[in-house]
Amino acid sequence: MKTVIYTCPYVPAEWIVAHGLRASRLLLDRVDSASMFIRSEGVCPFVRSFISEVMNNKEAEGVIVTTVCDQMRRAFDIIVRKCELPVFLMNVPNTWQSLASQKLYIDELKRLGRFLKGLGGKPPSNDALANIMLEYDASRATVLASIEYSSARQYAEAITAFGRDGPNRSVNRVTGIVPLTDGIPLAIVGGPLMSQDFALFDTIEQTGGRIVLDATETGERGICARFDRRRTHEDSFMELANAYFGGIQDACRRPNSELYKWLQQELTTRGVQGIIFHRYVCCDIWHAELKRLMDWTDLPVLDIDTAGDNETDRYRAENRIRAFLEMLQ
Amino acid sequence: MRDMPKQITLEEWDLRYEQLKKAGKYQPAYGGPLGRHVEDGDQRLLRLRYDNSAAALRLWNFLLTEEDRLHESRMAGRKIVGTMKDLGTVPVMAYCFENIVAFYPDGAWWIPCVMELGAGLLQIADSLGIDESFCPVRAMLGAFVTGAHFPIPDLLICSVGATCDDFSAIAQRLNGLGHPILWWEIPHRRNPESNETGVNLPGGYSAPKCQVKFVKSQLHGIKTALEDLAGEKLDEQKLFTGIQKANQVRRLLAELRQLAFTAERCPIPALEMLIAEMLAIHFCSNRQETINVLKELLDEVKSRVRDCKGILNVDAARIFWINPVADLQVMNLLEDCGGRICGTEYLFTHALDEIPEDLPPLEALARMALADPMVGSSIDRAQRICHDIRLFGAEAVLISRIPGASHCALEGRVISEIVRDKFDIPVLEIEVPPVTDSMRPTVRTRLEALVETVRASRNKKRI
Repeated sequence: MKTVIYTCPYVPAEWIVAHGLRASRLLLDRVDSASMFIRSEGVCPFVRSFISEVMNNKEAEGVIVTTVCDQMRRAFDIIVRKCELPVFLMNVPNTWQSLASQKLYIDELKRLGRFLKGLGGKPPSNDALANIMLEYDASRATVLASIEYSSARQYAEAITAFGRDGPNRSVNRVTGIVPLTDGIPLAIVGGPLMSQDFALFDTIEQTGGRIVLDATETGERGICARFDRRRTHEDSFMELANAYFGGIQDACRRPNSELYKWLQQELTTRGVQGIIFHRYVCCDIWHAELKRLMDWTDLPVLDIDTAGDNETDRYRAENRIRAFLEMLQ
Repeated sequence: MRDMPKQITLEEWDLRYEQLKKAGKYQPAYGGPLGRHVEDGDQRLLRLRYDNSAAALRLWNFLLTEEDRLHESRMAGRKIVGTMKDLGTVPVMAYCFENIVAFYPDGAWWIPCVMELGAGLLQIADSLGIDESFCPVRAMLGAFVTGAHFPIPDLLICSVGATCDDFSAIAQRLNGLGHPILWWEIPHRRNPESNETGVNLPGGYSAPKCQVKFVKSQLHGIKTALEDLAGEKLDEQKLFTGIQKANQVRRLLAELRQLAFTAERCPIPALEMLIAEMLAIHFCSNRQETINVLKELLDEVKSRVRDCKGILNVDAARIFWINPVADLQVMNLLEDCGGRICGTEYLFTHALDEIPEDLPPLEALARMALADPMVGSSIDRAQRICHDIRLFGAEAVLISRIPGASHCALEGRVISEIVRDKFDIPVLEIEVPPVTDSMRPTVRTRLEALVETVRASRNKKRI
């Protein structure tokens, strides 16, 4: 089965799978700036890693890039010139309140469908898409429920495994673990994490914290809304579009007030006592939210900025987290 | 009163101003000695060199009195619209209303330069969490907070989608501070696919019809908001007239650019040309006066070209300049180093290309909006640049990086590769912060190296 790779949460895996292809949402690894083929000055480490991964990926037969961030949009220009793989740039609107924006997203999904067809995919029937959506939905719910008995790292790994492999292989990985109840309840908020960032979860737990809300793009925040079974059977495509475009709240949205509403609800429900704000240097979208978040919430906020490519960075982040938790205890 | 063209200092200009006045040279209401603007804190003016024509004086005075004009408009009861990021589209619509004045708060990015950081706008942006890792347009936040520069607009309109992250993030921060914003979506421009109907755009670009239709719907929403603000309807005829006026500005600029970039002897300095081009995006808050200012400047340039007069040596290296500079002084510096501007792409070519007049007006504006170089790929942008390099006969390309700007990190490589593939000319990148004083020797050395490379290449061709 041909594999299509992507990182953006607004790309519905179900749509790719329903076309008979394998959807693989990447968890990126860091790339040392010195080893990059492109100049790295000013480039977001996540975008840098994405370009590197696409160039070196041996499995993929297609790539999907989206426009949610400017550097990713421009990464498309690099990839399309340097890489043999077919690449699709999907327009994901920043505005969301108008019907026109919603329709634009829907039209882009249809265009993505034509790209997938070009890769050898077959347009799905309503029922075929519905069945895949419901399978994903059930599996996704299981993964999300695992927060009760998983460490933060295990939980994050389960979510990324689900994104990478789909429902079949990811569900079993999170069962049978002793529930966690102690530690200061914390949220981690920000854009996508890379695999090396998962070490932060270990540090947090080793120093007396417990992540009860993973509001990163690679965590819960990047997961679409649950599908309504009735609507899924009636019009699976529309339900898919609504659950993704309407269900994922991101800092790139204009306005991004829904992100704060979502955070308000989740922070309260889960009794969060502190926020770890994770961002990459050169990520303007999330960087600009830091001070606003600090002004908005009464909770203490720790800023973890990372260039994503050296050990010093990691030690610094770990030290800051330790100090933060010491202050919270 | 026409003297030999040359570049003069601010002090020299004030002396010359007295001479012009005595000679009875017409001065508009906003006219006066340039030196008076320094009293407002515009310290950078003391370090610039200016064209010595009366036309340039009028241009500078027009630019430097914009804030006064905006405040006068408010006092006169006109509505102020702050239009952000689209650089040229929304003002065409806004200036169709008698009682609306539109401007770009984005223009505040030059305040730290002009006031040599004295206004404290960047410090305010810092305090709001928008630090030096963002583009200097963050100064806009400070200007909103202090209210000391432009009047706070009655309506803020901002394009998002295929824009730079810096501006989008800063505008969202502004929104978070309590300034309501009407957001509109500009999608990433793409080429039509095989099953789609394509549409030609200004600037030689193309896009699928569905994208034009989408943008048209977005602009329709803006038109409604402007109508509500103005209390009057904007019919097709009025909008068409507005497009014709905008095209008048664009045609003047096209002629000016053609002469300035191709004349054997450079007839007008790079700095004045930069400012003249900037007038296209929102007419410096007075559309008719923009036309008057440009007409006078064009007359001056025509006269100089006719008389084979200019401000630089004929052997000046012909440089194509990409992206606007945050520090205006760098345009002087290029000329000091032996270069001249022969082609520009300051991120708003869509505000320079004529808007189609043979289409329904909103459709024409939608096509213009989609022709924004920022909205499409860097590859498209590079191809347009290549077209203009050929048109103006540039011998080298200078890419001026904007510090912190999200698009600059990746596009420079794409543009330089494509330019090098097509032409055997040097391409150089420099980074220009709002005040370059501390890095002036470095910038100078790089510019000199570029000019020397051009000259060496000429010598090789002669051999």
